[in-house]
Amino acid sequence: MIRYILKRLVLMIPTILLTSLLIFWAMSLTGGDPVMTILPENATVEQQEALREEMGLNDPFFVQYFRYVKGIVQGDMGESYVTRLDVFQTFMGRLPMTLALGGTALIFSVIISIPLGIWTALNQNSWKDTAGMIFALFGVSMPNFWLGLMLVLLFSLTLGLLPSGGSGGVRYLVLPALTVGLGLAALITRTTRSSMLDVLRQDYMTTAKAKGASRRRVIYRHGLRNAMIPIVTAVGMQFSYVMTGSALAEKVFSWPGIGLLVADSITKRDTPMVTGSIILCCILMAIINLMVDIIYAYCDPRIKAQYSRKG
Amino acid sequence: MKKLFALLLAVAMLMSAAVSFAEVDPANVQETLVIGTAQDVNNMEPYMQNDQINNNVICLTHQSLIMLANDASETGITYMPMLAKEWGWEDDNTLVFYLRDGVHFSDGTLMTADDVVFTYETAMDPSSHISGVLSLITSVEARDDLTFVIHTSAYSNELTSNIASKSLSILSRAAYESGMDEPYLIGTGQYKLKERVEGQYVELERVEDYWGIGYDSGDDYGWIIAPGNAKTVIFKPILEAASRVIALQNGEIDVCIDPPTTELQFLEDDPNVTVLEAPGTRLFYFGFNCEKAPFDNKTLRQAVASAIDKDTILQVVLSGKGLTQNTVLNRGVWSFYNEDDLGAYTYDVDRAKELMAEAGVNPGELTVDLYSATDDPYKTIAPIIQANLAVIGINVNIVSLDQATLKSECQAGNHQIFLWRWNVLDRLDEVYSELFSTGFATNYHHFSDPYVDEMAVEILTQKDESIRYDESVELQKYLAEESPQVPLYVANLVIAYRNGLSETYLFGGGNHNWAHAYIDLSAK
Repeated sequence: MIRYILKRLVLMIPTILLTSLLIFWAMSLTGGDPVMTILPENATVEQQEALREEMGLNDPFFVQYFRYVKGIVQGDMGESYVTRLDVFQTFMGRLPMTLALGGTALIFSVIISIPLGIWTALNQNSWKDTAGMIFALFGVSMPNFWLGLMLVLLFSLTLGLLPSGGSGGVRYLVLPALTVGLGLAALITRTTRSSMLDVLRQDYMTTAKAKGASRRRVIYRHGLRNAMIPIVTAVGMQFSYVMTGSALAEKVFSWPGIGLLVADSITKRDTPMVTGSIILCCILMAIINLMVDIIYAYCDPRIKAQYSRKG
Repeated sequence: MKKLFALLLAVAMLMSAAVSFAEVDPANVQETLVIGTAQDVNNMEPYMQNDQINNNVICLTHQSLIMLANDASETGITYMPMLAKEWGWEDDNTLVFYLRDGVHFSDGTLMTADDVVFTYETAMDPSSHISGVLSLITSVEARDDLTFVIHTSAYSNELTSNIASKSLSILSRAAYESGMDEPYLIGTGQYKLKERVEGQYVELERVEDYWGIGYDSGDDYGWIIAPGNAKTVIFKPILEAASRVIALQNGEIDVCIDPPTTELQFLEDDPNVTVLEAPGTRLFYFGFNCEKAPFDNKTLRQAVASAIDKDTILQVVLSGKGLTQNTVLNRGVWSFYNEDDLGAYTYDVDRAKELMAEAGVNPGELTVDLYSATDDPYKTIAPIIQANLAVIGINVNIVSLDQATLKSECQAGNHQIFLWRWNVLDRLDEVYSELFSTGFATNYHHFSDPYVDEMAVEILTQKDESIRYDESVELQKYLAEESPQVPLYVANLVIAYRNGLSETYLFGGGNHNWAHAYIDLSAK
């Protein structure tokens, strides 16, 4: 198992290199000139050219790219064009905020969605199933910036219970986590339901019942555990998404997370911040996926055995 | 009635410079003032930035030699003393500033002319972002501890404007030489930085032993250097406009910068909130690339100018909260001239069609690209102009670009027509030279006219004010006739705040000074 983890970690290196190349290339294709972002608008042509030269922007693409990669290898991801802050430190400063939001949203969604998914599967084709699926449809369809604003109107402006945005404590986390979590809960509910429906039809479930196991034991011990693989996959994928793609919710709630950082940096053509953040997001996603794989092994001993054989 | 009250309040607030701020009872001052902004502060190093949001913070922590007045058109006084008590040209190449005595930085050290020399030499270094606008300065010196001298290659009417800029806030040489982190944070202002959390807030605390406490300025401008009132001032970025409005109504912030016009009705109905609306200075305009066909044809430019319906644009973009204008100079700048005899080509479709015929362009035969930024208000203006030009038979493709790309493309001359904006507070040459003179990087019109070049220099150096005024008006008329640009509108300054906000010093373009602002609890 440990060898498998190490192998996966080593495989991350070419993935990161390829990602950095793609991002660097994509940023170069977007046109525009970073110097225009950095200098005041009325800077002279000479000033612009001097800065371009100083930053190496006149060098060929691959020279610029290799200089960037060299910097990364030496632990230097560069400085933001806009804030002049270190890219790595800025990203790491935002990471705890995103982890807090993503983690809370995920916990909230799992608490709601797995019981709801099981409940709807056990009551397939009944009104309970329909009600659960309407909730899931609502959650999936609702744009989270709209949902966020509605929650702010209700809980913040009308009831005055929670702050409308910003950060600073648990109270500030409730509304953004609810906004992101509802969307996640809907997806996980659907996955749980369909996975449970598959498992409930299996012969071993009938056998378990025939052996006199309690309904609770049949569902949770024999059913849920076997249904967990697709659920863990969905949770892992959604967590990756939340960690890197909650820009809209973060904007509505002024939550200073990674999504907002990347979106804002793209708008300002802050190339070092965009490239560095996406590379770090890529590493983050690779780690989350690795964690999901490890959880697979604990859910299903057959997978663990497979990892051990492959080494 | 409510609108009338708001208007009177706006005028009163903008005129606040004309009178000294009243004595403040500390018992009525809310300890913390929270300002909700549309952007995050990104750089607090004065000479390495020129963003409005940064300037709003820097003017609390730092001071420059002189300060720009926000009501020059009413009072005739453009600059007021700040760290310098007097200044003037000794001859055409020497500008002298006499500094106030007893000014201290927030770390307690005394400010002298040597610190001013250090600041200017730092700002004049080619690596500084503002060195370009200081190219006229050949050297600076400290004649004595309280006399600072600028030597220039020529006389300029506009140099004082740069000196009033926040980017030339005075820095401490000792702080830089001490090797401390972020020495640029040491200023002479009423506040000092307590904490900056990137993406979350900037918190400033009042300097309790501020040098201006009880200071006798010896002139009418003591209020400029008076101590701050609120104990703490926080700038909090709330990027989403609707969220910013809710935060104000909810009492989480005291001031909401740039509330969206679509939300103003909710704010106006809120008894705890006041909406301030006042004339702005930021001009949004439509421009031509004049060196490239087909818009090297002046008559065609005049035809297009006559086809653009500015009133509709203003109504759609800002629900009418602004003023359309015809001259290229920004509203509020000295010698602004927007009268009927300007001779501008205003909305008249029949005339536009006649001019099209005169230009030799048949309806339907011309297709052009309109370069426009992807954000507001450009993305809203562009389709209206597309529809306006379709009426006279010009097909327009809208090319949406991010702002940095748009600027690069326009500078390179790859465009035909474009949408942009220009914010000028007081400098005429920022318009005449930077937008219309040959060779300037921001002359996106690629307009090159010896008469304009010559007049821009003449207006920059003419010492007789009445002659200079006439020349400026003449140049505005000339540019209206040449039509390298179609000025569209100036958006109103709109700010919403909790009742009781006092002692603000606001500018139509957004470079506000919050150094004395506070919430008066007795007026809430």
